Amino acid sequence: MARPYALLRAGFPYVKTLGMRRVTNDPVDVALDDGMYYVLNRSGIIARLQWDDDGSWDVGDLKPIAGSGAEDGKFLWPATILIDRARTLWVSDENTHRITNITREGEFISKWGERGDGEGRFDGPAGMAFDSDENVYVSDSRNHRIQKYTKDGRFILQWGEFGSAEGQMNMPWGLAVDEMGSVYVADWRNDRVQKFTAEGQFLSAIGRPGSDDGEFNRPTGVAVDGHGDVYVADAGNDRVQLFSQEGRYVEKFIGDASLSKMARDYMLTNAGPLRQREMTSLEPQKRFRRPRSVRVDDQFRMFVTDMGSMRVQVYQKDAEPLTPDLILPPPRSPSLVTN
Amino acid sequence: MAAQDLSLTAHLMRRAGFGATRAELERLAEKPYEELVEDLLHPERFPEVERDLLDRYLSEPFATIPVSVGIWIYRMVNTKRPLEEKMTLFWHHVFATGFSKIQNVNAMVRQVESFRRHSLSNLRGILTALSKDPAMIFWLDNSENHRDEINENYGRELLELFSMGVGNYSEDDIKNCAKAFTGWTFAQPIPLYPQGEFPTEFEYRTDDHDDGVKTFLGETGQLDGSHVIDIIVRQSATARFVSRHLYNFFVADEAQVPAWSEAPPRDPAAIDALAKAFESSNGDIRSVMRVLFNSDFFKKARYGKVKSPAELVAGVIKLAGTHTEPNRGLEAVGVAAAAMGQSLYDPPTVEGWHTGREWIDGGALNERVNFAVDELDDVTRPGIRDIVRRIAAEGGSLAPGRLVEQCVELAGPVQVSGATREAMLRFAQAGGELSFESEDAAERSARRVARLLQFIVASREYQLA
Repeated sequence: MARPYALLRAGFPYVKTLGMRRVTNDPVDVALDDGMYYVLNRSGIIARLQWDDDGSWDVGDLKPIAGSGAEDGKFLWPATILIDRARTLWVSDENTHRITNITREGEFISKWGERGDGEGRFDGPAGMAFDSDENVYVSDSRNHRIQKYTKDGRFILQWGEFGSAEGQMNMPWGLAVDEMGSVYVADWRNDRVQKFTAEGQFLSAIGRPGSDDGEFNRPTGVAVDGHGDVYVADAGNDRVQLFSQEGRYVEKFIGDASLSKMARDYMLTNAGPLRQREMTSLEPQKRFRRPRSVRVDDQFRMFVTDMGSMRVQVYQKDAEPLTPDLILPPPRSPSLVTN
Repeated sequence: MAAQDLSLTAHLMRRAGFGATRAELERLAEKPYEELVEDLLHPERFPEVERDLLDRYLSEPFATIPVSVGIWIYRMVNTKRPLEEKMTLFWHHVFATGFSKIQNVNAMVRQVESFRRHSLSNLRGILTALSKDPAMIFWLDNSENHRDEINENYGRELLELFSMGVGNYSEDDIKNCAKAFTGWTFAQPIPLYPQGEFPTEFEYRTDDHDDGVKTFLGETGQLDGSHVIDIIVRQSATARFVSRHLYNFFVADEAQVPAWSEAPPRDPAAIDALAKAFESSNGDIRSVMRVLFNSDFFKKARYGKVKSPAELVAGVIKLAGTHTEPNRGLEAVGVAAAAMGQSLYDPPTVEGWHTGREWIDGGALNERVNFAVDELDDVTRPGIRDIVRRIAAEGGSLAPGRLVEQCVELAGPVQVSGATREAMLRFAQAGGELSFESEDAAERSARRVARLLQFIVASREYQLA
């Protein structure tokens, strides 16, 4: 899909909330399949949720998979979950320093990686992203670098070193690859997002430390949609920020959650919490708390793993692609004449 | 640098913190003792623990109690502000609040954060923060203390255990104290399900507060909680009671708190000196601690105090050089301290833990020794490698007697008894001279050093700070 020349941004409304405490405890990432969402919990359990949530979560196809452990197919400090074209799941684990492939039912397929700082080794692999050939980029966080592998774990290339200059990194975390192959890195401790070519040449950077628009406090996740818009989970500021493909700040999301179906069912059968909720303000209950990752599907729905509040919030982008005949080219100077 | 200085520095760091590595000690001992004390008394001179790392790897503040305990022990081990962390533990001992009743991790963690923030400030500020702390309010039922139906629990314990001690106030004082704190409550927190815990804050309900005239400790007026705290801090009984708590925690084991109205202090002159500092500074804890650490009674009080489980665990970890980064093993360390009799965030009663010899019984001693020996059971641990490297740097081969001497020195220095030294010497002699000349010899020697360090941490003397 070719990128549009420009966009008419009509809106980006909140749609719904998925999950709840007990089902999606400390969610760190979500993999988007057709109608099914695999929510990776920090505990190692992967919850399986459906778009058409009917309130159930532990029966049949919705039974949680994986779990906590160092054995094959389980996880100690899982960080990222991806789904590939064959519809199998890939999980990075910052504690075992491994990348693991499992089926959608949780059966172990394969794994690679071990601790170290040489080629093919990791110290805290966190973010992961596929390119269009399904090679996988991994942010090797404590080694302050990005590595690229084939799906079966053959090392291809690496770049990055500790530091804050262009191309250097400080504990990189979330990763994304756009349809042109550019790689976006949430450079966590440098409070910025860096953009590289597929081979690791520095292209540009967004952000600096702070809490104003366009600034970050420990960004954890990054995503790119089919329009080239860049989404950043700005965890320390409890928000997600949206940037245009040129890196211009567009807007921020602070959370608008409502109760998921399963949460509603829970509340309706628990008189005590029901009363306590009635005694409190709804305001803080809507907001993001330490959002860990952001994902966008091909329908331009944004999924935010709202870790602190143990759920996933979904928004829907509403934008019209524009061709050059519909919108003027960018002017050199602004104008006060706006009619 | 004189050995005596290093030994005194080590004493200071065991008491004012959770011990120090050899490298830290050598660096610290370069400063005059009084300057070192000033550094400890001014934690703001040093950076905080890196909270972003804790948040990233251990998901603070949405953790469970076991994770929160692990995080706290991580702080004890890695803080650059050791006295701040030790005072935090001190206030947790004195204002003992237990998760078993609170059932709210966020409220417990925030209470301890409040102790950390107020660690060395004025007692007035500390008691004010305590009286507004949701966990304390719930723990001692002040949320049930209403204008038309008072609950004396908080008022009673504030006087009996938190400030003055039994025998220094009347039953009427307790009642009026409770009345002064009516309406001091907290906002209903958002329920745990379905979105996890949310914080809550202190709430003052005017319509539930008794604003009538009250008499408390001889002062009469429309007293509320703040006035009561002001009056408490001015009492010489408070100065003596807080001083005795500080002496018991930092200097030498006293009788258990409930016996204090009967049993005289172990060192009355020391309590006099601390109480004087308290009164002349209007309850400034930093001023009292300055007198305490610079006193002769403190400097001489070496190895006269049983380590609490938290002190033992954190000290052993510092010696082993492990847990310098957030990791999953920290939860297990918290469990180990609990098995030794100290569940952080969950003291047994409002009296807190019984200290001194009561820390040690057969089971607890077993747990203490097993934990310490296990922590040093791996020669690749950074702390052991550092000690081995220092011993190897002497060059050539090392006689058994010198080996024992070096281990005792580098692990502390630790004061070990003749019997322990004998046992270590027998073990050292059985292996002959220590050599690092070949790779094999170096590996064997490293294992022998580690074994000797295990002798030390398993000894009776290592249970003492």
